[in-house]
Amino acid sequence: MASAIITGGSEGLGRELAASLSQLGWQVIIDARHAEGLDRAAVDLGDHVLGVVGDVTDASHRRALVEAAVARGPLELVVNNASTLGPLPMPTLDAYGLDDWRQVFEVNVVAPLALTQLALPALEANRGTVVNITSDAGVEGYEGWGGYGSSKAALEQLSRVLAAEHPDLSVFWVDPGDMRTQMHQDAFPGEDISDRSPAADSVPGLLALILGEYPSGRYQARCVAEVTS
Amino acid sequence: MSVLNATSPEPRSLRASALAANQHLAAHPSLPKLPASSVHFDLPPALEASEPPEARGAGRDDVRLLVSAGTEAPVHARFTDVADFLGPEDLLVVNTSATMAAALDATEPSGRPLEVHLSTRLPSGLWLVEVREPDERATRPDFSDHTDVTLGLRGGATVRILARYRGSHRLWLAVFDTGALTLDELLARFGRPIRYGHVPRDWPLSAYQTVFGTIPGSAEMPSASRPFTPEVVARLAAKGIERAPIVLHTGVSSLEGSERPYPEWFEVPAHTAGRINQVRAAGGRVVAIGTTVVRAVESSWRPDGLAHARSGWTDLVVTPDRGVNLIDGLLSGWHEPEASHLLMLEAIAGSAALSLAYDAAVAHKYLWHEFGDTHLILPAPRG
Repeated sequence: MASAIITGGSEGLGRELAASLSQLGWQVIIDARHAEGLDRAAVDLGDHVLGVVGDVTDASHRRALVEAAVARGPLELVVNNASTLGPLPMPTLDAYGLDDWRQVFEVNVVAPLALTQLALPALEANRGTVVNITSDAGVEGYEGWGGYGSSKAALEQLSRVLAAEHPDLSVFWVDPGDMRTQMHQDAFPGEDISDRSPAADSVPGLLALILGEYPSGRYQARCVAEVTS
Repeated sequence: MSVLNATSPEPRSLRASALAANQHLAAHPSLPKLPASSVHFDLPPALEASEPPEARGAGRDDVRLLVSAGTEAPVHARFTDVADFLGPEDLLVVNTSATMAAALDATEPSGRPLEVHLSTRLPSGLWLVEVREPDERATRPDFSDHTDVTLGLRGGATVRILARYRGSHRLWLAVFDTGALTLDELLARFGRPIRYGHVPRDWPLSAYQTVFGTIPGSAEMPSASRPFTPEVVARLAAKGIERAPIVLHTGVSSLEGSERPYPEWFEVPAHTAGRINQVRAAGGRVVAIGTTVVRAVESSWRPDGLAHARSGWTDLVVTPDRGVNLIDGLLSGWHEPEASHLLMLEAIAGSAALSLAYDAAVAHKYLWHEFGDTHLILPAPRG
C-alpha cells in the first residue's frame, strides 16, 4: 500500500487526515516538534501511522521523513500541513521583526519546498500528489496577518509553478477554511472560536482531492465536499 | 465442449469500456492492471442463474455442489451434503455482513433518469458510487461525465457526485444529503437490491440476505453463504464443525475485464484470529465461505505468520503471485471469465485444479452467479 507524509500530524487537520488515510490502509508518516503529543497521536491512530519527531526546518529531519515513507511503501503523497503563525500576538508590518519574518518563511515556504524536492523522485515515479495547506490569509489582506499571509501567498505561487513544471503530478494548494484548532485559537487569543468548524469538517474535501481525479489547482476544502449527514 | 483456452466472445461495448479502464489505470501506475487468470472458459448464457431456487419451489440449499480436492477428479454433490466433506478439525469462516438496498433511482438536472449504486462507505462521509442508466433488462454502465453534478433522489435527498475515483472508469466519489432522514432510512424507504441483467426481475431484499448476515453494509450479497439454511447449519453443528465470523462489506461487483478491485471495509475479530491460528496449528483446514472471507482473513495476516485482529479498509488483491497464507479451502459460487476473483481461486486451488473444476462445471451445466450452484475447493488429500 502507498505511503504518505503529513507534516504537523499530532493534532488538528493533520491528525484527522492521517486517521482517514490510515483507515484506508495507507502507511502514514506524521511529524511534530514535541515527542509527547506525537507519540500519543501515533499510538491512537494505530500501526499504520509512524511518528517521526523533528522540526520541518531541519534538513536531516526532512530526510528522515522521506526515508521512513519510502521504506514503508511507494511514496504517493506529501501534505505540507505544518506551519507557524510567527510571533504572538501577531505584529503588524510596521513592527514585524525581520528575523521573525524570515523564520515564518523558513517554516511555511522553505521547508515545504525542501521536503517536496526530496520527495519528488518518488512522487514522480508514482504519479503522486502534493497537497500544500494554505489559507485565505494568503489571498486577503487581513490586518496583523502580514507575515503568515505573505508566506501562504508564496506557498500558493510556489504550488502553481510546481504544477506547471510537473504536469504528471497532482498539485493542490488548499484553503481548509477556519477551523477550531489550537493554531486558530492562538491567532485570536482570548476570543471564543467555538463557532468555527472542527478540523474534521475540512477532511472530506482533502480526502476527495487525494482519492479522486482532480486537475491540479487551488481548492477550498469545504467546497470540494461538504458532508451534511 | 472444449472450454479451456477458448476465446471469450467480447461484446463491443465491453471491449470499449475495458480500453477506457486501461487508459485511466495507465495514468496511475500505482494501480497496475491485474494479470489475466490462466483459467479460460466460455460461459454459455443458459448457465447464468436468472432467479433464486425458491422461484421454482426449491429450498435455498437445493443447489449443486462441486467439490475439488487438488487435481483429483471433481466430485458432484448436493449442497445439502456439504458437511460430508468437512470435519470437526476444520474451521468455517463466515461473513456476517448483510446486504443493503443499495440501488437508488436518481435524476440528472436535465431530467434524465439514472440509477445510483452505493458501493463503498469511505472515511469522513465520502462514498464510492456507480452511476448506471436504466435499460430494458436492468441497468447498464453510464460512461458520461458526472463530475460535480448533483443528482436528485427520492424523498428530497440528493447525491453530489464529486469526481472520478482514481484509477476507475466507473466509480465516483460522492457525498449524500439525505435531509431529515439518515442514509440508512433513505435506503430502507427507497432503495432496492442491486440487480444485473442476468436476473430479469426485482426480488425482495430478503432474497439477498444470508443466514449469517447481521451487520448491514454490503452493496451486494456475499453470495457464497446464500445456500446455507438452518438445516445445513444444524448438520454442520452435529458434526462438530465450528464457524467463526468476520465482517467484510462488499462493494459493487460489476467491474469488467481485469479492472482492479477497490478497498472494502472489513473486521477480523480477535476471537476469530485466535481460532484460525489454533486450527492451523492443530493441522485443521481454514475454509473461507466466500471470496470476501479470503480477502478479510488474508488482510489480517502479518509476517509473523499469524492472523491478527484487524479492522479498516483493505485493498488486498489475492493473486497466484501473492498466494494465500491463512486460507486452506474456499466455498464459493461460480465466477465469470476474466473476473479478478478467478485469480484468488487460482491462488488457493492452483491453476490445474481450477481448470478441471471449471471444465467440469460447464460440461455438467452448473449454474453461475449469486443464485447459482456452488464450488468447494479443498487442498489435495494428504498422501
